[in-house]
Amino acid sequence: MTRNVVVTGMGVVSPLGNNIGTYWDGLREGRSAIIKREYQAADKFSLTVPVAPIDDIADMIKSLGRDMLRADRFSQLAVIAADEAIKDSGIEFDEALGARTACIIGTGIGGQTTLDDGYQAMLCRDRRPHPLTILKIIPNAPASHLSIRHGLRGPTFAVSSACATGAHAIGVCADLIRSGSADVGLAGSSEAALSYGALEAWKAMHILADETCRPFSKNRNGLVIGEGAGVLVLEEEEHAKKRGAEIIARIAGFGMNADGNDMINPSVDGASRAIELAMEGVTVDDPSGVYINAHGTGTLLNDPTETKAIRTVFCADADAVVVSSTKSMHGHLLGAAGGIETIAAILAMKNGIVPPTVNYDEPDPACDLDYTPNKAKERNISVALSNSFAFGGLNAVVAFSKP
Amino acid sequence: MAEYEASLLEIIKEHAVGLTGELNRDTPIADLGIDSFSVVEIIYEIEEKLNVEVPFNANENPFGDMATVGDLLDALDKLIKKK
Repeated sequence: MTRNVVVTGMGVVSPLGNNIGTYWDGLREGRSAIIKREYQAADKFSLTVPVAPIDDIADMIKSLGRDMLRADRFSQLAVIAADEAIKDSGIEFDEALGARTACIIGTGIGGQTTLDDGYQAMLCRDRRPHPLTILKIIPNAPASHLSIRHGLRGPTFAVSSACATGAHAIGVCADLIRSGSADVGLAGSSEAALSYGALEAWKAMHILADETCRPFSKNRNGLVIGEGAGVLVLEEEEHAKKRGAEIIARIAGFGMNADGNDMINPSVDGASRAIELAMEGVTVDDPSGVYINAHGTGTLLNDPTETKAIRTVFCADADAVVVSSTKSMHGHLLGAAGGIETIAAILAMKNGIVPPTVNYDEPDPACDLDYTPNKAKERNISVALSNSFAFGGLNAVVAFSKP
Repeated sequence: MAEYEASLLEIIKEHAVGLTGELNRDTPIADLGIDSFSVVEIIYEIEEKLNVEVPFNANENPFGDMATVGDLLDALDKLIKKK
């Protein structure tokens, strides 16, 4: 018997808001969370870059309890998001269900701030690193913390594929449920790499934006890095119906592949094939009902490549499809991008409102789709896609449909 | 610029794995055998060895449409800042 996978809970902590409600408000209003901030180290190093940080959550983190105060920020953000998703789903994990629940939480880099702190302590102050350093930096820390916190004893691990991490986590978790290895799953991703060291490394690549993130705009000039986490509760459909859960969306399709081409330059062939794979088995009666939450990083190369990939898949219907890049508002959350952007796609479909691509100044002939410039608009969405095209040529696309 | 030119050519030569002949301003970029990362690595080495800064944004394509090594040297000349 075919097992279908549905979404029964969502949780997020993002530069636009620390829960689903405030996140959606920010998206709908077209608010930008991008600011310029100075980062310092060792009392002598400093750099100032545009970023999308999360501020004022010290109390929220403290309320997570002692175990999480011993964790890196990326684990703390994951737990905030996962706790909200679990509450949203109404699910209660008894021993039997815990054993049948997967926990797949990805990250791009893991405990970056702990790593930075450790090196600074050693090299600048001649101190030893914190005794729990290793446990704080390992990429599987969020999945393990959630397993302990909620008694989850099914398949539990991290996935990592740079900007495609979140989408991969969701796709892999859905596959585990579909194959019968689990009945429920926490799936998502987290990133908190706004540290002096990490940002110097990003600056050294010469692809960060000077001021802000302008996806698809002719005057776009690069990435803005953000932090945050997004987690979904995925569930086998009959299991959800049996307990009277509210089904928020269905996982209609998932495409994953690799370009096999270049460590940084994206490929139209690879990206279009990933979108095609996600759309296999998805019926589209009216292309104007398709919303694509784009990868849309605002770099010179991604935006036209992604445009061509969408045109390759949708052909003449591409002009009817509606697209936007919410990275224009919340920045590029790296490993957590897929975690929060899949939620943006679902919220758009649920509310019938397409969040805009803000900071859009000037059309680029190479980017000629409907990107919902600067202002949200109403649209009856029947299929919502989330695109992720990562460094190293890794692509993952999730397709959601209405319950 | 003249003060740097000899050093820049030295650094470029080290990365020019495909080069068979002489390296000078007229040498075509296509003959150097460099890939998309080479320009970034060459600039990094220039910054480290010459103690200068070469600020640029790859999204603004400052090194696009270069035909010769001379074009690359001219592009670098515009960007190099003494520290």
